[in-house]
Amino acid sequence: MTGYIVRRLIAVPLMMLAISFILFMLLFVRPGSAAFAASGFVGDNDPKAVERFEERYGLNRPWYAQYGDWLWNAVQGDLGVRLTPPQDPVTDKIWERLPNTVEVGLLTVVLSAIFGITIGVLSAVRRNSILDYVLRTVAIAGISVPNFWLAILVLTLPAIWWQWTPFASVWVSFTDNPLDNLAIVIWPAMTLALASAAGTARLVRTSMLEVFYSDYVRTARAKGLQERRVIWSHVFRNSLIPVITLIGLQFGAVLGGVVIAEVIFGIPGLGSLTLAGVLAQDYPLVLGTICIFALLFVLVTLAVDLLYTVVDPRIQY
Amino acid sequence: MSLDSSAQATDAPLSDAAAALEYGIPPKQRFNPFHWMRREPLGALGLALIIIVSVGAAFAPFLNTFPDPREQGLGPPLEGPSADHWFGTDRFGKDVWTRVLHGGRISLKIGVATVLIGTVAGTLVALLTAFTGGAVDFVVGRLVDVIIAIPSILLALVLYTSVGQDLPDLPVLPRQEFVLVIAIASFFMPGTYRIMRGMVLELREQQYVEAARVVGAANFRIMWRHIAPNMAGLMIVITSISLPAAILAEASLSFLGVGVEAGTPSWGADLSGTTRTYFIAGPWLAIFPGLALAITVFGFNVFGDSLRDTLDPRLRGRI
Repeated sequence: MTGYIVRRLIAVPLMMLAISFILFMLLFVRPGSAAFAASGFVGDNDPKAVERFEERYGLNRPWYAQYGDWLWNAVQGDLGVRLTPPQDPVTDKIWERLPNTVEVGLLTVVLSAIFGITIGVLSAVRRNSILDYVLRTVAIAGISVPNFWLAILVLTLPAIWWQWTPFASVWVSFTDNPLDNLAIVIWPAMTLALASAAGTARLVRTSMLEVFYSDYVRTARAKGLQERRVIWSHVFRNSLIPVITLIGLQFGAVLGGVVIAEVIFGIPGLGSLTLAGVLAQDYPLVLGTICIFALLFVLVTLAVDLLYTVVDPRIQY
Repeated sequence: MSLDSSAQATDAPLSDAAAALEYGIPPKQRFNPFHWMRREPLGALGLALIIIVSVGAAFAPFLNTFPDPREQGLGPPLEGPSADHWFGTDRFGKDVWTRVLHGGRISLKIGVATVLIGTVAGTLVALLTAFTGGAVDFVVGRLVDVIIAIPSILLALVLYTSVGQDLPDLPVLPRQEFVLVIAIASFFMPGTYRIMRGMVLELREQQYVEAARVVGAANFRIMWRHIAPNMAGLMIVITSISLPAAILAEASLSFLGVGVEAGTPSWGADLSGTTRTYFIAGPWLAIFPGLALAITVFGFNVFGDSLRDTLDPRLRGRI
């Protein structure tokens, strides 16, 4: 067990090394860094200006020197400076935006787990009832509705019907006013949670149904346990493992969806920062933000794998 | 004598009914679409929706009420649905019905292209690497781990900023759509690869593969004739389940402004940018493209699910 955890912990920096290397090669070392340099920041095709630009950002050096430098700085917490006008350090910008994204992401995963598990358990316990059919249809519809369209409807329809919008247009950070902040963040989290909750509900239902007909559940009933006890401590607990895997996997999808939700709801998070970087071709910014996204994902995957052993003591690595 | 006659009896080919009795082999059932519809009502609904959307996209030039989805000033700007403009007009007087129809073409074109490329490439790589094993298998496996660690939309954003700037315009595929295809296909590949690799490892140990090896079949022949055909069913299922996700991905990226070229009719693009400020004045602008997208994705989702259950119920919960 300890050996397994140590191995997994060593794998994290190795993963990040590989991810950052591939991203760096994709973003920085493309045929002709002049294209990179001339992408709107240096002015028109002035060879002198391009040269100065390359000199300044060290783009005229071989790729291993560039990557080595970037990596050495990144390990110390410096992800370079932005190319776009304020030209401030990427790291500062990320620190400023990261808490908002993490807040939206966590809230989404929590909401999705609560809704998904409740609906899934209800569906499984009352299987083949009208409630079950309604919940299952809602779940499939939930997977199919594009989250950005849902967000648009949430913003638009109340405004048309009641001249009222659920969404405050001015951003308030959590440290300034936690309640006002939650009133804003709850909307992107809800729209993102819908699709993943639908997925969770479907999985909870199938995996609980599999357990329902197993021998130990029959034994539990036979020895006279209350139905409530049977459902929660026998069926539910044993059907959790695939559900935890799914919630872990969904975190990746949520991180992707966060970009869209942040753009629509105007939340100053890492996702909207990445998109701004992409649209402005601000390479250091894109590289930095995506590396942070990947780091989040790798850490969550690790946490999920370690959580298995808590949920299911039979699993030993 | 009696022994001799019984030997003769076993030599004669058994009738299907006798085989069913003798070995418990169920008689071959002819596929009856009406039975399937009754067993899988949601799947049938999905198929119907898919047919409607495909017909709409395929015959867009005949079904549209105005020939050009990009043409402006076809009617008064921001007019609600009417006899002339079934889905209303946008702020430039473009006809929304025409744009929604043509948007379906982009969605289906990009969706089908990306899923085909992603699943075929993923399957081929899985077949080659898992069969050979060793260092190649290890390296490709770790590479896939790395790609999976970058959330799909963000991977698409990276490819858009990097590779996207260097791609050429193709005759059938403008540069922007080419980037989309590569970006979306590249996040279906790793998933397909993982599932298929497991399948190849399982199939590689089958007795008929061993038998083929014994009679001296070359690796390539075993891969192509003995393993690949057994992966076809799974591939169909993966394709049909990935397709709605691909269509959503195209719409999401176009919505973010890194998808199709500006002005191209696309459900995602028509919901994005400055158009969003007109949704309260013209709700039909928000409703119709989004509804078309949701219906398409819903159709493919439920059809894919029931296809999986029909073809291979063991996959339920795994894909």
